Amino acid sequence: MYVFYVAMLKRDIVGHKVLLKSLYPLLHLQPLKKGKLKLMFKNTSFNSIGGALNRVYALLLSFILIIVLTPAQVSAQDDGIPTDEAVIASGEKLFKANCTVCHAIHDKVVGPALKNVHQRRDVAWITAFVKNSQKVIKSGDPYAVKLYNEYNKTEMTSFDFENEEILSIISYIKQESSKNPAAAAPAAAESGDVAAVTTNQGPSPFVNVILIVLTVILVLILVVLAMIIGLLKKYISQKDGLSVEDQEIASQTTDFGALVKSNAFLGLVAFIFTAIVLKSVIDGLFTIGVQQGYQPTQPIAFSHQIHAGQYEIDCNYCHTGVRKSKNANIPSPNICMNCHSSIKTESPEIQKIYAAVENNEPIQWVRIHNLPDLAYFNHSQHVDVAEIECQTCHGPIEEMDVVYQYAPLTMGWCINCHRETDVNTKGNEYYDNLVELHAEKSKEPMKVEDIGGLECSKCHY
Amino acid sequence: MNFNRYINVFAILAAGVMAAACSARGDRTGVEYAPQMYHSVPYEGLVQVTDYEAGRWLTSTDEGAAEFYTSNPNNPHSMNMREPVANTVRRGDYLPYRIPKDSIALAGRVLKNPLDSTESVVAEGKVLFSRYCQHCHGEQGLGDGLVGKVFKGVTPYNSRAVKDKPEGHIFHVITHGKGRMGSHASQVSVEDRWKIVRFVQTLQKQ
Repeated sequence: MYVFYVAMLKRDIVGHKVLLKSLYPLLHLQPLKKGKLKLMFKNTSFNSIGGALNRVYALLLSFILIIVLTPAQVSAQDDGIPTDEAVIASGEKLFKANCTVCHAIHDKVVGPALKNVHQRRDVAWITAFVKNSQKVIKSGDPYAVKLYNEYNKTEMTSFDFENEEILSIISYIKQESSKNPAAAAPAAAESGDVAAVTTNQGPSPFVNVILIVLTVILVLILVVLAMIIGLLKKYISQKDGLSVEDQEIASQTTDFGALVKSNAFLGLVAFIFTAIVLKSVIDGLFTIGVQQGYQPTQPIAFSHQIHAGQYEIDCNYCHTGVRKSKNANIPSPNICMNCHSSIKTESPEIQKIYAAVENNEPIQWVRIHNLPDLAYFNHSQHVDVAEIECQTCHGPIEEMDVVYQYAPLTMGWCINCHRETDVNTKGNEYYDNLVELHAEKSKEPMKVEDIGGLECSKCHY
Repeated sequence: MNFNRYINVFAILAAGVMAAACSARGDRTGVEYAPQMYHSVPYEGLVQVTDYEAGRWLTSTDEGAAEFYTSNPNNPHSMNMREPVANTVRRGDYLPYRIPKDSIALAGRVLKNPLDSTESVVAEGKVLFSRYCQHCHGEQGLGDGLVGKVFKGVTPYNSRAVKDKPEGHIFHVITHGKGRMGSHASQVSVEDRWKIVRFVQTLQKQ
């Protein structure tokens, strides 16, 4: 009997784990004839060289065992799985239409990798499981129960396939199992590459390096030129018999002192200095009470660029209040968990959400858009009724890794928009009479200011 | 050059530097004008300042909470927000959905969609679908949304396993979730769920 002590692999490289796991079921079916072989890998520390060696041995052993055992297994079995091309083709079609959402041949997806499933279980068992997995699990079949628990009690959907259809799928899996996974890998990796490319959009650091190098070179050239001029002048002045014109040029020196002391120069400098200082003072004063550009560090490094940009999740999915209430709302963790129950579960940032849910503690996000208490603003009015895009006020939110306040949110900014924007009256009978009255007086389309968008008490009360 | 002339220049320079420091950047909110008018006196849902002494410098009294303090010690975690009282029903809305999560077959048998399958209902359902479902289930409900591809295991609506599921089943799944899908009851109102059901039914038939 082969006894494998796999506990050591608990915290180890996935490659091992998969290799040994794929061996595991295989060995269950293997007749016991080769005597006792005990491979005891105690829970050793891998920080030592010995540990590393153990790892290598384990890898080697698993390779050897796979090579030795697999052919014996295949040749020993006459499983009645059709090898007919047409059957395999129809199996492929069914597999791709129904199974690929949860299963792959070589990789564990939602459900286990199906490579060599026909060797692990017989056709009757697979058929029963596909038709109604819960029935098999409830019947107490130990393998099914183990599988169910291993995959976090995820129920497999029941499929009402005919027996022949299931057989055709198995035949397809069998054929694919014998293929090299490396051949299928590029196709799978492709989508990942695309994602990687789209995330890397900023200018490459090389551009900056090149610019700096160019500047240094230009400065050096300037210095060298100045030195050359100096040398040439020296050379000319030492020469005898120069004409008067040449002598003038050679003895020419710029009198910086006189230039600096001249009234015109002083006046110019004073003017530029005052202008710059005045401008910065006025600009600075205008930023008082305006939080444009405020970009606080948030407790969780949530990226809108990934969620709204890369994955195109609608803003409304998380900001549930945006069409219903004054506030757009910050999503509660249960909304995060709709996806992050199984996406990026290892990320330390996502772990913070898990911690918050477990301890039943609120996540303390830092509020960015702080409209003063003296002004009233309502999201639903603008987003649901007026159908204004979020980006109009929040800027290119789908490109922001860390959100900052894009608009100044000043009164002038509000008023300006109310002056310029046409009222979205289409399909809204509330506005019918207003549009009629407006049309009597003016030929211009009805702007927000025409229906009281500039009234003080609209926003201040 | 006398000292007085310099002082003017320095004053202007200092004013410039100070004014430049007023603007908001990074973690700094910048200078507020008349802060008493900026900070809400009543409780506001998405604001919480737990520091009792915040803004003491412009508070007229030395007793009690300072000007900026806003949090409700009666609530859990002193939050200003509160969940609706348990077992209360909002007025003017549908009655709460009572069928428990594990009775999905019952839901499929007994639930009837209160909305007719009119063109406008399906169109509204489609818009809602694009907001709440599309990133996983895909535009055509084939389970190929951008998130769905990463999430894996999103069943296509027209697959044999689910294409004949009744409307009550769909409603129940949106409300309680199923398998790895989470509950969307907190995001989508009952009426909106029924609209989505109407649209999903058109995708089942494709």
